[in-house]
Amino acid sequence: MSNREPLWYCHECHAEMRPLMVPDPHCASCNGTFVEKMENPADDPREFSGGDFEDPFSGDGGDNFLFGLMRAMAPPQPNRTASAPGTGNGSGFTLHIDRTGTPGGGARTTFSTRPMQSRSRTTQSDRTGEIPTLSDYVARNPAGTRPEGNTINGSLMFQYLLAMLQQPGRRGQFDNTLGGLVPPGAENGRMGDYVFNQEALDQIITQIMESSSAHPVAATEEVMEKLPREVLEEGSPLLEKDCAVCKDQFSLTTEDPDELVIVTLPCKHPFHEPCIVPWLKSSGTCPVCRYQLVPQPDHHSPGPGSPNGPGGSGNNRPRAGSGGGSGSTGGFAAAPGGIFGNLFQMFGAGGSDTNGNSNHSGSSSNTTGNNRPSTSRTNSTNHNNSSQNAREHVPGGWSDDMEVD
Amino acid sequence: MSTRRLQKELLELKNEGAPAGIQLLKGDDFQSWILSIEVLGESLYKGDKFALEFRFDSQYPIAPPSVTFVVNEQFQAPEHPHVYSNGHICASILANEWSPVLTVSAVCITLQSMLASCKRKERPPDNDRYVARAPADPRRTRWAFHDDDV
Repeated sequence: MSNREPLWYCHECHAEMRPLMVPDPHCASCNGTFVEKMENPADDPREFSGGDFEDPFSGDGGDNFLFGLMRAMAPPQPNRTASAPGTGNGSGFTLHIDRTGTPGGGARTTFSTRPMQSRSRTTQSDRTGEIPTLSDYVARNPAGTRPEGNTINGSLMFQYLLAMLQQPGRRGQFDNTLGGLVPPGAENGRMGDYVFNQEALDQIITQIMESSSAHPVAATEEVMEKLPREVLEEGSPLLEKDCAVCKDQFSLTTEDPDELVIVTLPCKHPFHEPCIVPWLKSSGTCPVCRYQLVPQPDHHSPGPGSPNGPGGSGNNRPRAGSGGGSGSTGGFAAAPGGIFGNLFQMFGAGGSDTNGNSNHSGSSSNTTGNNRPSTSRTNSTNHNNSSQNAREHVPGGWSDDMEVD
Repeated sequence: MSTRRLQKELLELKNEGAPAGIQLLKGDDFQSWILSIEVLGESLYKGDKFALEFRFDSQYPIAPPSVTFVVNEQFQAPEHPHVYSNGHICASILANEWSPVLTVSAVCITLQSMLASCKRKERPPDNDRYVARAPADPRRTRWAFHDDDV
């Protein structure tokens, strides 16, 4: 037998052997079935073991596979490899699919990824076991260099998918689909759906709880402009009424000429213009009866169809006793059906809370429309904007985040 | 507007008196007032006296005042499922259900009735976690309002 049959390689126990044909090839040493005939020296299966992986989705193999996938999806950038500083190699990966017929008759497909130029590099520097933060991937410069010493272990495959979706070049396309699910940065033990410590988990739970309490929605300029205005004059029936905001009676003798202008809301409650406008800018509701000039996320408020009648303004009744169906304390105020919107919003805001996302470029458009009731609430497509909005100071508005000092 | 509104409220509290069970303890300026609050009639808090601190900014009454139970040598925060041991109060009218129609005395009455209707003297379930990390101003907290009936 001078011309010996080539040996087989077992991918499971790494043994080189002659398989048992029963009738499909089985490893003679571990009885595994993931064996390959070493017939082509140019494609030696033993080299695959350099990464020491057994499962394409664990260890470096999985990393490389996903990383390769990410590459494949990225739009061509001619200068990518050229401008990779220092290393230059090792940043390109190919997806390799190897279809080999086995003597037993069954066809078998193996696939793997490997660096195009330097195979050894991945086995050395990428195996520190340190878990990188998502922002490392997000922040990756257009040259595509991967931060040294950072690798995600196989079980965290999902992180790569997140990173992939978050790639600057791919933004927008996925953002709409995911509604901004992907956090732009992840520090403090938080990465996407994963948390690594109790504090991070607490934070998330807190945020979920907090984001379910809905903010009031401001009235738009347009809505406010259209409100009927009336200038006080002698004999006006309004002169017998009070402004429920400042608690003063309407009067012709006022220091502020603006207070001669009376705005009457659709629910018939009248207010000084300078009293009601700042309120409407923070909440598009009637202060007296909570009639909604713009739809509010809060289901406690009476709908537009059921305003209290005219009159009754300017009284000092506490809300608790004033009907309107509002629980004075408590009351689950989540927007019905808005939980996903809130979640998305929360992930957006939460991510930027934790700093370290300043290089999250390419998301500085669409700054208008903040006050639109539905759009800004339920599918905020831009995390940076939504968190900034939340911080803008609106009179009577609520700052978003519980400060943790 | 805040000063004018507060002036009016203060005058009313002084001239007409505060609602039953409520007393103005300190109202020398338009930044911070302290009122005492007692639950009248049968309740878990019978005989207890609490103090509420109201802090106003220039946005009042468009923005709610910051309202907390005073916690010091003299006063404690009531043990209540919506009151944290640092005095912070989880009440929707002090947050997203605030309305400029509400006044200091209206808030006091509401909190008085919140205490009066309490069935179990206990702290919020997340008291320790919240108190450890709470902002100084409870208005910076985004509250989740869990129920209507306490």
